[in-house]
This record gives sequence, C-alpha cells and structure tokens, in this order.
Amino acid sequence: MKAPSTALLRTFSPLWRSEATSATARGCIAQQQQADFSSTPANQARNKRAGPKKDARITQIRYHLQHPLTPRPLRFSRNRALRHWTIHRAWQLYQFKLRNKQQSDLEKQYQSMANACEALRLIDNQGLTAEERLKLGEGEAEGNQMGKLFRIAMQKKGIWDGVPIEYARIQTDTPPRDGWNHAWTR
Amino acid sequence: MPEMFAASCGMRRAFRFGTSSLPSRLPAAVAARKVGFNSERRPSPTTSPTTTTTTLAAGMALQEVTASFLRRLRTQDTALAQASGLQCRRYASSNTASPHVAQEIQDLEDTDFVKQDPATAANLKYDPLHRQRSFAGTPPSSRYKFRPPKYYRGPLHPHQPPKPSDPASREYIPGPYSLPRLQQTYTSTLEPDLMTLAYVHHPPGYQAPQKGERLRSWQGASPYFKNRDLRGPRGGDVLRLLRKPITFRNVPKIERITVHSMVKDAVSDSSHLHVAGMVMQAITNVRATAHATKKSVAGFGVRQGQHLSVTCDLTGEDMYHFLSKCVDVVMPKIKDWRGVKGSSGDSSGNIAFGFTSEEVASFPEVEVNYDMYPPKMIPGCHVIVHTSASTDQDARLLLTSMGIPFYGKFIN
Repeated sequence: MKAPSTALLRTFSPLWRSEATSATARGCIAQQQQADFSSTPANQARNKRAGPKKDARITQIRYHLQHPLTPRPLRFSRNRALRHWTIHRAWQLYQFKLRNKQQSDLEKQYQSMANACEALRLIDNQGLTAEERLKLGEGEAEGNQMGKLFRIAMQKKGIWDGVPIEYARIQTDTPPRDGWNHAWTR
Repeated sequence: MPEMFAASCGMRRAFRFGTSSLPSRLPAAVAARKVGFNSERRPSPTTSPTTTTTTLAAGMALQEVTASFLRRLRTQDTALAQASGLQCRRYASSNTASPHVAQEIQDLEDTDFVKQDPATAANLKYDPLHRQRSFAGTPPSSRYKFRPPKYYRGPLHPHQPPKPSDPASREYIPGPYSLPRLQQTYTSTLEPDLMTLAYVHHPPGYQAPQKGERLRSWQGASPYFKNRDLRGPRGGDVLRLLRKPITFRNVPKIERITVHSMVKDAVSDSSHLHVAGMVMQAITNVRATAHATKKSVAGFGVRQGQHLSVTCDLTGEDMYHFLSKCVDVVMPKIKDWRGVKGSSGDSSGNIAFGFTSEEVASFPEVEVNYDMYPPKMIPGCHVIVHTSASTDQDARLLLTSMGIPFYGKFIN
C-alpha cells in the first residue's frame, strides 16, 4: 500500500511550518500499515513472516536493558563545586583517619600478642622464668617444662579447619536471644 | 637598563612616601596623637614658658597646624582613590599628577611610541553602537566556561578530563550510600581474629632459613647455559604464589567478586541472554557485561563471536552486600546443601561456588518480582570470590569466618 499523501495536510498547515517532518510523522512513515484498516488484531496464524509470539516479559526486559544515553555529567556552579569539593576532602580525611586508627589498633594487638608469646616462651609450669628460679634457689627446669604453654599455643591444632558455623555470623542490630538452635533436627 | 630599573624603584618608593598611604590607614586618633607629639616637641617660636596667654595662643596655633596637616593627610573619598589605596602597588601611570612622576616622564627618552600620530588619531573613531551592530547574532558570553574533554586522550595530552571524584567527570559515581554489615563485621571482628589465628611466634633474633631460588638457573658445563633463561618451576608450568606470614598489614580480605553466568540456550535464542543479564544486574546491583565466545565449538553449535555469557564485577559496597545476601538469605534456603566444595579454588586464594537456577530465583530481588522473568529462563551462576590471600587455605579460612560452609576434602 502506498503511503498516504500529505498534500491535504500541507494545504491546511500554516505557511511558515518547515518542511522537516515531525518525530511523530516520521514514526508513522517508518512503520506503515501493512494490512487493510481493521479494528480487530491481525490473525497471527495467517501472518507467515512473524514468528512465534514473543513473551511480553521478554519484550519488556529487552526494552529496559536498552540503556538510555549516558547521562550528561553534573555541572556545578563555582560555589556548589567548592562546597562539594570541601565535603569530599573532609570525607576522605575522615576515612583516612579511620583507616589509620584501625591499622594502629591491629598493630597494637599484634605487638601485645608477640609480647605475650615471648613471655609464655620464657616461663615454666609454675610461671617462673629462669632468673626467678635462680633467685628462689630452685634448680634448672626440666627441658619440657620450660615454655610448655607456648609450644601448645604454636601447635595450632584445629585452626585451619575453619571457624565453627555457630560463630561465623554477620553482625546484626538485633541478634536473636538464643544464637543457635542446637536442638534442631530434620 | 639597570639605571632605569633603579630609577623606577626609587620612584616608587618616593611615591609611597610622598602620598603617605601609611598614616591614612591609621586610625585618626593615632595619627593625631603622633602629629601632636611631633608638634609639641618641635621648638616653636611663639611658645613662651612663662605666660598662659601665649600658651593658649600657641595651643590654638598648634591646633590650626594640626588640622591643616590632617586635612592634607586625609584620603580622598572617590572610588578610584580608594581602589588605588587598596592596591598595594602603585604605578607611574596612575600617579601622573605627582610632580615627581611628571619629572620622571620628562626625563624619559622621546620615542614615537609615546606620541600619537595626529593623522591616525583623526581616523580612529570610537563608535560602540556601530561596533555592536556590526556583530551578527548574540555576542559570546563574557563568563569563562570550561568544558572538560569527553574522552581521555592519554597522560601527555594538554586537555585532561577531571578526576573521577569530581562530579563533572563522566566516571563520577556518587556514594557510598551505606556501610555494609559484613564490612563492619570484618573490620571489628574478623580481621583481628584471623590475624590472631594465623599468628606464628618466632623468638627475637630468629632468621628464616634461606630457601633455594624459585626459578633455578642452569647448572652444567655446557656453553649454552650461559645467559640462558631460568628453568621453569618444578613439577609443572605453574609458579605458585609465595605465602608471606600474616601480620597486621596483610590479613586476607575480600577484594572483589565476579558473578558469571554462561547461558547455553542463547545459542538459539538471544532472549535467554537478555533475561540472564537482567537477573544478574538485579541481584548484584551492577550493570551486566556480555561476553563473546572466543572459539567456536562445533559439538555445542557455538560459533566464535556469539554472545553467550554475562558477568558482573562487584567491588566495595556492592560486593559486601552481595556476599551477605548469599550467606544470610540464599544459602540457608538451599535444600540438602552441604556447602561449598572443599576442593574449590585456584590455589592462589580465589574461591568459586555456584548457584543453580532455583537458587538464583531465591535471591530476594528475584523472589519479590518473580513474575517479571520467564521462569525457565532464570539462569544459574558462578560466584568467584577474589581474596587478597595467596593460598586457598587462607581464603577458605576467611570465607568460613564469614559464614560460608565448606565440605569434603580441602585441597590447597
């Protein structure tokens, strides 16, 4: 079928309108009506060219996956930009301090752990170092008495099996009163 | 030239002194006090120490002197004078009224640049209205408008785009909007715990034993061994990562998560891929990227260049949210699930696990809007957790402490 003539439309349209077709008109021209005019939907079985009917959900998903144009970058006026910059710097500074604090806390913990292990290594079963034993007049400790706790600590039995699932919980605002239902069976 | 410079300097100094901008800046009272002090000390011919009348007269005369002196010192109220006072520098051109300047200008050489040719002066006409009308269209705005370049053209290009932290940048991403619970748990609990678990004590003065070279050199008498590339790693092609002892600086942490889904039905129908991409970006909050197949496989009917898989790369906030969703919502709902296989991992600290399509459907984002997706098209996916640990053992320890169970034989 031929495209409908726009001659009549042009006759009644204002004189100063430009010749360029509007977006709507262009859309109409692009998808011209194939069948004769009818108010009932076209029978799909008769139309050989169109394949099986597509799921409307897929059409929707495809439509929404087509990302629109990249949004234009934000443009701030001078004062707004300065305000943003100030807040950004302040936030960065705050984050930096927070990170430093966490790191230094961790370091302190590490150092005290090292000190504790060193102390454990140097004491015997009674908790006496070699010097204290000398002072108290006790003899030399037997070989396996010295630093026994330290050796047990360094064995690391069961460490690499992982954390028990009862304790491996992400923190919440409102944890349950009884953290784990041990009585649960299937 | 040096003489000229010196002269100009001297001139400037003289101006500064002559116009005396200093007292004009001082409060009037201070200036008056100074002047009064000076005038009192000055020996006056009218002053007589004995009679009071003469003292009075002298006082009046002093007042007269002071007033006239102050009047001279008083700054002009015109805007131009104020502006010139505000400015610290003074220029010869703005002080032509001063006799010193006139003298200096007189002293300068006579050049053609100073004088104007009377013939050209007559020809020059100042007609702003005509000038304005001669412009076609609107004149450009007087305000300076900086437009950053659209594309990055390399570090040596003079026109550089703004930093990604700048909202004017095209790479600007606002946020973070939340502090994920998992991140808080990690910094407050898991990180110190893992450091403590992995701590190995060495007495002071301990020196680690020297190990052999990782890549051995060629030993032998052959002349071809000279300058030859080092031998490959022992027992295969893979050079394993070194495991450094864990200290407070290198406690393993999650770096990023890749969620990947290969949709084999997309070979025949691309709608599977589209639905998969939509599901992926719904559950991860990150735009899905489709990937083209690199090689054609005749057995599967896969041709090179077909887009058959989607991935989402998560970092930061999204990453923590996704993992905590997996641990707290999805994994507990899986039926007869024993956990992640203990043999999972690439032996350099990255551990992967998978979800079937039913499990993906139990993500809260899919679940609330389940009817949006054709149920047969919801894909399964792989989740690859990249950690900063260099061995699978450490990575597994980290993931177990976050609540991901492992089963079976652990292979490191």
